[in-house]
Amino acid sequence: MKRFLILLIIIAVVIDFYGCREDDTLKNNRPTVALVLKTLNNPFFIEMQKGAEEAAQKLNINLIVQAAEREVDVEKQMQIIENLIQRNVSAICVTPSGSKEIIPAIVKANKANIPVLIVDTRVDAKLLSESGGNVATFIGSDNIDGGRLAGKFIIEKLNGKGKIAILEGIPGHETNDARISGLYDALKNNDGIKILTSQTANWERDQGFNVFQNILQAHPEVQALFACNDMMALGAVEAIAAAGRTGEIIVVGFDAIEDSRLAIKENKMDGSVAQHPYEMGKIAVESALKIINGKKLPLEIPVKIELITKENSF
Amino acid sequence: MLIKNFWSHNARQLGTVIGLVGLVLIFWAWTPYFLTISNLLNIAQQTSINAIIAVGLTFVIITAGIDLSVGSIMAFAGVVMASLLQADQPIYIAIILGLLVGAASGLVNGLLISYGKLPPFISTLGMMSVARGAALLFTDGRPISGFSPEFRYIATGEILYIPVPVIIMIVVYLIAHFVLTRTKLGRYTYAIGGNEEASLLSGINVKMMKTIVYSLSGMLSGLAAVLLTARLNSAQPIAGIMYELDAIAAAVIGGTSLMGGEGKISGTLIGALIMGVLRNGLNLLGVSSFIQQIVIGSVIIVAVLVDMALKKGKN
Repeated sequence: MKRFLILLIIIAVVIDFYGCREDDTLKNNRPTVALVLKTLNNPFFIEMQKGAEEAAQKLNINLIVQAAEREVDVEKQMQIIENLIQRNVSAICVTPSGSKEIIPAIVKANKANIPVLIVDTRVDAKLLSESGGNVATFIGSDNIDGGRLAGKFIIEKLNGKGKIAILEGIPGHETNDARISGLYDALKNNDGIKILTSQTANWERDQGFNVFQNILQAHPEVQALFACNDMMALGAVEAIAAAGRTGEIIVVGFDAIEDSRLAIKENKMDGSVAQHPYEMGKIAVESALKIINGKKLPLEIPVKIELITKENSF
Repeated sequence: MLIKNFWSHNARQLGTVIGLVGLVLIFWAWTPYFLTISNLLNIAQQTSINAIIAVGLTFVIITAGIDLSVGSIMAFAGVVMASLLQADQPIYIAIILGLLVGAASGLVNGLLISYGKLPPFISTLGMMSVARGAALLFTDGRPISGFSPEFRYIATGEILYIPVPVIIMIVVYLIAHFVLTRTKLGRYTYAIGGNEEASLLSGINVKMMKTIVYSLSGMLSGLAAVLLTARLNSAQPIAGIMYELDAIAAAVIGGTSLMGGEGKISGTLIGALIMGVLRNGLNLLGVSSFIQQIVIGSVIIVAVLVDMALKKGKN
């Protein structure tokens, strides 16, 4: 046992010595920036990746893009960040899978002196300051504004009177809550609009299909749907088609991904709030470089948001 | 003769160890960030949750059963514990209750399997959904976040430079190894998986043993919930989705046979470490997460193929 322990210590020392080998990426003087996404199963994040890659190429940055296997798995996202800290990257851009759960990972990066840029989904500001963490900047659109845009559009389409349903993403998720609070804000001075039900489909297309199929059964009188992302909206569009009711229900999604733009063109969907993930990815990498070069960033970098309808979809 | 005996007893184990060492060498050659003390501790810490759940599954699989509900039970135990912590209950009471919720869920599995004569696959599949639903219902779908530094010490603390989760993992493995090799429960676990009929005829209380084994698996899921909640500073009702598959994979890579009767706790630890090393190394190399999934899947298949080939050679 004693010999085994001594051997272990020797191995440890040797390993640590080897661990100090030179970093080959520093040698050619290229900073390494990591972009940690929620998932790569969603076109929104693939667009973001493309934007980041374009910026990285232009600025001669070594870019690493990683995502957990499942969007809901914050613990795996935390593992990825821990591993990137070991990799000693120059900056980490992250789209948090959980606004609170990601904070311990941010604190770890802070301790390693690696700047963290938050993209798309805000972190919980109160818990962050309680945990003693800090982030360099937030790059993203105002989701409350987006929800408001969707709400106004639905009111307009229903002429101020009607029954609506809501498909939520993951409850308690900042993006989700902001979009819904924007929608409620738009609806609050409008007594003619009644919310029949608000249910979660966990951001996913197949769940959007199932949940909306159930809603159609329970509330056949539903006139409009607001889905907190396009994947769920597209699932609902299929459920509406399966019920033979295409065109009867107003569907408004969020993210304006390619599939939903097409659905809008084909009159299966009515609108989608467009964020610009490509821009977000690009700005994230550009901002990361600014921080690496010692420049200060504003606390928030807004990315524009707009409603796509048949009139302006192309 | 002695060497031959050693070989036949440890061939499978040796294969897994060689696999782990091989992986370590490959990553060491490819990236300077892999083989550092801080990264190795990082891997051990990341492995701890899966490794602890996998201990329960090792027991269950050795009895020729399966437990698909561990991820959901972890989520349920986590939110119950978190709600107690938020209600300012003492930490130890919250933790004990978390473990009890896990054990009770496992107990239900065990009773349904032993006395209800349900196949383990069906019973635990049902529990997977029930416990998940219970967790969502309990929290209204929202995470419970923000705990005291004392509780978070379980995830953030270090004793002699070793992270607390790693120490907990090691203790669990030492106890599990002892139970499986030195106690009646352990021997009966193997016996039931090897031949349930014969175990019954030789007077083993098979029903009770199985119930204990599933309760144990549930309790370890509760323990994993303690670590996860402290780690994320939050208990999510949607936590642990598909964690059962990672834990099954760790046990299987480590040489536990899904047919029952065979398996070792040390093998499971190596299996869990192989998965942790793979994820970490591929992250360090910046390999696409799509390729990571292919690699991890392939490793599981290769491990079982090797297992089968070795067994064939033995007979």
